[in-house]
Order: sequence, then structure tokens, then C-alpha cells
Amino acid sequence: MGRAIGPALHTMAPGSKLPTDTIVMNLSELLLHEPEYQRLRGILAKTQRDLRAALVLLIDRGGHEIASEGKGLGTDHTALAALAAANLAATQELARLVGETEFSIIYHQGRCRSIHVSDVAKRFSLVLVFDDSVSLGVVRWKVKRATASLEEIFRGLIDRPKTAMVAAGAAASPAHFTDAEIEKLIKHFAPKVDKEGKV
Amino acid sequence: MTFINYVAHEINCKIVYYGPGLGGKTTNLKYVYAITSPENRGKMISLATETERTLFFDFLPIDLGQIRNYSTRFHLYTVPGQVFYDASRKLILRGVDGVVFVADSQEERLDANLESLSNLEQNLKEHGFDLNTIPYVLQLNKRDLPDVMPIEKLQKLLQVKGEPVFEAVATQGNGVLETLKAITRQVLVALRKSA
Repeated sequence: MGRAIGPALHTMAPGSKLPTDTIVMNLSELLLHEPEYQRLRGILAKTQRDLRAALVLLIDRGGHEIASEGKGLGTDHTALAALAAANLAATQELARLVGETEFSIIYHQGRCRSIHVSDVAKRFSLVLVFDDSVSLGVVRWKVKRATASLEEIFRGLIDRPKTAMVAAGAAASPAHFTDAEIEKLIKHFAPKVDKEGKV
Repeated sequence: MTFINYVAHEINCKIVYYGPGLGGKTTNLKYVYAITSPENRGKMISLATETERTLFFDFLPIDLGQIRNYSTRFHLYTVPGQVFYDASRKLILRGVDGVVFVADSQEERLDANLESLSNLEQNLKEHGFDLNTIPYVLQLNKRDLPDVMPIEKLQKLLQVKGEPVFEAVATQGNGVLETLKAITRQVLVALRKSA
């Protein structure tokens, strides 16, 4: 059974590795362990380097960031992830409306920067932000290769026995809160007020 | 579906504000944005028409604070309330952890509330969720308007399962924070149950 990463991770040197049974993420009951996470990061990093991309971002269908490489857009990708997930979901609905099973790629061409969003294993999406020095053909080729490698990792996760994963996820979960801890969190979230007590 | 990132020490949850058109869903989010410190909120995204009606969704990520050394990040979404945007509403419910139903208290909007509630139940079902078990809060908004229905009557007609009910005037912020805190509590309790 895997164990969750503790706070010590924040102080680890780049490139250093955790024990192989360490759970890195719980992706809707798919547990991503350390070796898989490192492979996944490696694929994103290679894609980012090969395309000199401003950002390579892997998200789930709910719009949550799983991993990213490239700092060309700062470090907060929350809004980008949410919009890309919604965009892909809307595009897939459009596909169904016109009798297609799916449009698996979205490409937005800008004057200097472009965005390429593609499906990975029907549950995740790969988002690339790149500049006009790279041709779309090269992007498509690299994305195709990266997607195949990522899908191989996710297939491994999906093929694991589900009951064992649920049990491991539950054991590693930080969500064993007490009522008092929940109430403390909620009480702590207070509006900002000025000196006159107004919001 | 709650997304736990053990590396970043984050618990990410998705809350959707649902309800009839012009009921005050976007106003709820705008108020939360206004009262939250910049360090605890991200960018608010509104995909709206020229007349400021929600076309696809509004999105606001907020950080409620730490619990057990984990940051609790809540992604707040609204759906477009107008009936003909049903396809968009369905998409936004994907992976939802909790729902706030923002009802319009005006007498003339009762049928719109009931229709939207029925639509919510149906759309949740299509994603494999059950309104009877998902974290859920009812907000009775626009209590400052002259032709509003009595609370007891609205509650009898709109309350689904004994969920918490809050009176609100979202334009003034009344009831907005209480609603958010109530749905947060329910989502965290549900997450604990699944652990």
C-alpha cells in the first residue's frame, strides 16, 4: 500500500526521487505513484524542450492541473486549465452534434503565440502554448508521440485492480479531518474588512 | 471529483452555482471575489454575452486556508441559467463536488426555479450523480425585492432533502458567505467519508 508524501517534499532538490511506493496524486481514484509521476514529468519536459514551448500542461477533464513544464506564462495555470478543459468539452459536444464521435484536437492560432489542446486517454488533456518559430506539423508530430507515451502510463494505472487502488487512496488521503478542523477552516475564511468594518 | 495533489499539498474541489436565469449566480461569485484577499483568490473568468448574461460559465478559484497542512482550493463555477443553454450546463457539472442552487424568490420566477431544479436533477443523473446524496445547499436570493414569496412557502416547494437554506441579497452580499461556508462544510465532510 502506498504512502502519501509529507511536507518534506517541498525541500527536496530538483531531480531527487521519492520511494517508489509513494503516492503522488489521486486522479479520481487513479493513484499516480512516484515512478509514473517522474516518467510523466520527463515526457512533458522533453516536449517542452523540443518545441521550445512556453508551456506544456497536463490537465484532467475537470480542469485541474496534474503537471506542467515551462514557465513562459508564470506559475499559476488555474484559469488556463479551467478554460482549456471547458473548451475541449464544448468542442466534443460540437462533434457529437455534427455526427462525429470526437474532435480530439483544438488549435488556436495567434499572431505570436498559439495553443494546441489534445485528448489523452479520454480522461486527460495536453495543453501546449508555443510561439510562431515552430510549425504546426512539428507540434502535431511531437504531441502525437508524447500522447502515446502518456497513454501508456495511464493505461497502466487504469489496468490496476480498482478495489486495491481505492483502499490505497483512502489510506493515503489527508481527508481524515475532525469536525473541529473543518469548523476552524471555515471560521478562518473571513472577508477582508476596512477600518470601519465594511467589506 | 475532488483532486488531491500530494506534491503541492492541495485539495481541489469543484462547486457549481446552479439556478434559473438572472437569479444571482454570477453576483454571488462577484461578491466572493470582492471580499476575498488577492492572495487567496485567482483570476475571475466570466464568459458572458454583450449584455452580461452568462454564456458559458463564470469561474473563480479561491483558497480557503489550510487543513492538516493541505491548502483547500475551491473552484467556483456558475452555469448559464437560460433554458436554451442546457448543453453548456451539463458540461460544467462534470466532476462537480457540491452544488449551490440559487433560487429567485420572486413569485413570478417560481416556475423558472422549479424547471431549473428539475433540470439540475436530470443533468446530475447524466453524470452519475444523485441530487439526494451530493453536497447541496439552497439559497433563496433577492429577498429585498417587493414581490417575493414567503420563506416557508419557497422552502416547502424547493427544498429537496433537508439541505441548509439561506436567505440572501447577493447584490449586498447578504447570505453569500454563509452559503459558501455551508457548501464547503458539506464537501469536506463528504471527502472525509470517502477517505
